[in-house]
Amino acid sequence: MSNRTITRRDFLKVASAAPLAGALAPALKGASGASGTAGAAGAAEEKVRVVLVRDPSPLGSGGAPPAEVVQRMLDDAVRALLGEKDIAKAWKTLIRPEDVVGIKTNAWRYIPTTTEVEQALKRRVMEAGVAEDRIGIDDRGVLRNPVFQKSTALINARPMRSHHWSGVGSLIKNYIMFVPQPSAYHGDTCADLATLWSLPEVKGKTRLNVLVMFTPLFHGVGPHHYAKEYVWDYKGLIVSRDPVAADATGLRIIQAKRKAFFGDDRPLQMTPHHIQLADTRHHLGVSDPARIELVKLGWEEGILI
Amino acid sequence: MSQPKAPGARVLASYIPTAAGPWLSEADQVFDAETIFDYIDGAGEVYRSYNMKLLVARRFHKDGKPDIVVDAFDMGSSEDAFGVFTHDLDGEDAAVGQGSTYKAGLLSFWKDRYFLSVYAEEETAETKGLVLELGRAIAAAIPGDGPKPGLLKLLPPEGLEAGRVRFFHNHSVLNYHFFVAGADILLLEQRAGAVLAEYAGSGSARSRFLVVEYADPGQAARAGASFAGAYMPEAGGKAEVKTENGKWTAVRIRGRHIAIVFDEETEGKAGKRLDAFEALLAETAEGRKER
Repeated sequence: MSNRTITRRDFLKVASAAPLAGALAPALKGASGASGTAGAAGAAEEKVRVVLVRDPSPLGSGGAPPAEVVQRMLDDAVRALLGEKDIAKAWKTLIRPEDVVGIKTNAWRYIPTTTEVEQALKRRVMEAGVAEDRIGIDDRGVLRNPVFQKSTALINARPMRSHHWSGVGSLIKNYIMFVPQPSAYHGDTCADLATLWSLPEVKGKTRLNVLVMFTPLFHGVGPHHYAKEYVWDYKGLIVSRDPVAADATGLRIIQAKRKAFFGDDRPLQMTPHHIQLADTRHHLGVSDPARIELVKLGWEEGILI
Repeated sequence: MSQPKAPGARVLASYIPTAAGPWLSEADQVFDAETIFDYIDGAGEVYRSYNMKLLVARRFHKDGKPDIVVDAFDMGSSEDAFGVFTHDLDGEDAAVGQGSTYKAGLLSFWKDRYFLSVYAEEETAETKGLVLELGRAIAAAIPGDGPKPGLLKLLPPEGLEAGRVRFFHNHSVLNYHFFVAGADILLLEQRAGAVLAEYAGSGSARSRFLVVEYADPGQAARAGASFAGAYMPEAGGKAEVKTENGKWTAVRIRGRHIAIVFDEETEGKAGKRLDAFEALLAETAEGRKER
């Protein structure tokens, strides 16, 4: 293992193969200071499944497709993810009737998780046998929410967007509300966000990750890091058991959109290295596309991946 | 609209109009460097990195129309107000305050120790007009101007792209503009002041010029050694190295300053800019003292 820091010159060496933007180039893993155990791809290793589902239906004023379309998208994705045709059976492999389930959402003013996604998840959790009063939906109040305090299972659902400090707002980052002082995790532009997943409040509890890609934000401006100009109707959901693999897949779409929009490999504002480090340093999941089995369902136009 | 209680906030709030055309203002929100995350999440780190003191946020609302938001930051010094303004220089010059840009519904400008963001949640011809009107009114209400960082005087003028100069204090912001290294190999540590400028070369070629000012010469020497070891280890004590893209990086340490040229087309051009920097440094009070 090398502790040498990555410099610009490392990128220059591999410039033709790896744009600066990602800081995810496998060629650089050895220089990252990480052990690389989880990132060292081997042909015989089992791949992590990620499902991308899209639907061309028009989006409503809240930024989501109609509720019945969202339910269908989610169901199709979960079936494909788990290889189970019966949606009820599929959910019963994720959630037990005795579980207390927290659905961790994201309430960002401009692009929230959306009610449609929250209710689609809640419906299936209830059908898996969990009483409604044992299901909580929350973002900023999770530490005070009695359901989350007693939770035995979590479902992590949030939109992906470019982010002023962490590069992208990700599923990995979505658990930052489980700490009283989120800024404590801002060091080195949020490099070690994956350590959130070792907190007692969340460790081992996450049964499903849903990265909402209905209207991703691929670039931001100003203190609020938002402008409608940099949002597009992608109309997708990315679903996986592995938050890192889902985030790495969403990031590829964001970067592809940036390349299409700007006409060059413009780096994200702040490197989203917390995704790669979640793999190589913290072993939370898989970030290397070569180790991800991407299943694509539904609408293909403008898929970007 | 409620009035902010802190004296500094009251002054800052007094610069912001209470209405923007038919849009009426809601209650102000006031944040400091600790509470800013309650308002703008991780983006608060950018403002903290420029030593922000206070933020007064005022939202203007009209039913059926996009909201307009004024975020007024007291940065504590005009140098840091200028610095945080240079964090995002994309957009057209709006001729507001001491420097401004407008793009996609967002007007950013700085004046004296204040940085202002005036933002329409949806850009229309109407909201663009109101955003600019609000900005001009706020700029007119702020009584004085403030100086830019003195480091800017150490930028050689030949080839300098004046609209692409950034001022900052830490390596995350440096990397945001120009990735140098994953770690803080220049030991900026939020205490140094640094200026990064773009220089035009032949055709579309661009080089970067970084000048860092440390607290004392010892710190500059340590930072220089750290940079040389991490970035140009094969240089063997030389101050220049040809990098993998066929361009040149050159470094010079003088007193408590480090100057580095990145991606210059020739070794000669890199050396010439460093010589020009040194000449400018010699003309400063500090340079004259060192002589």
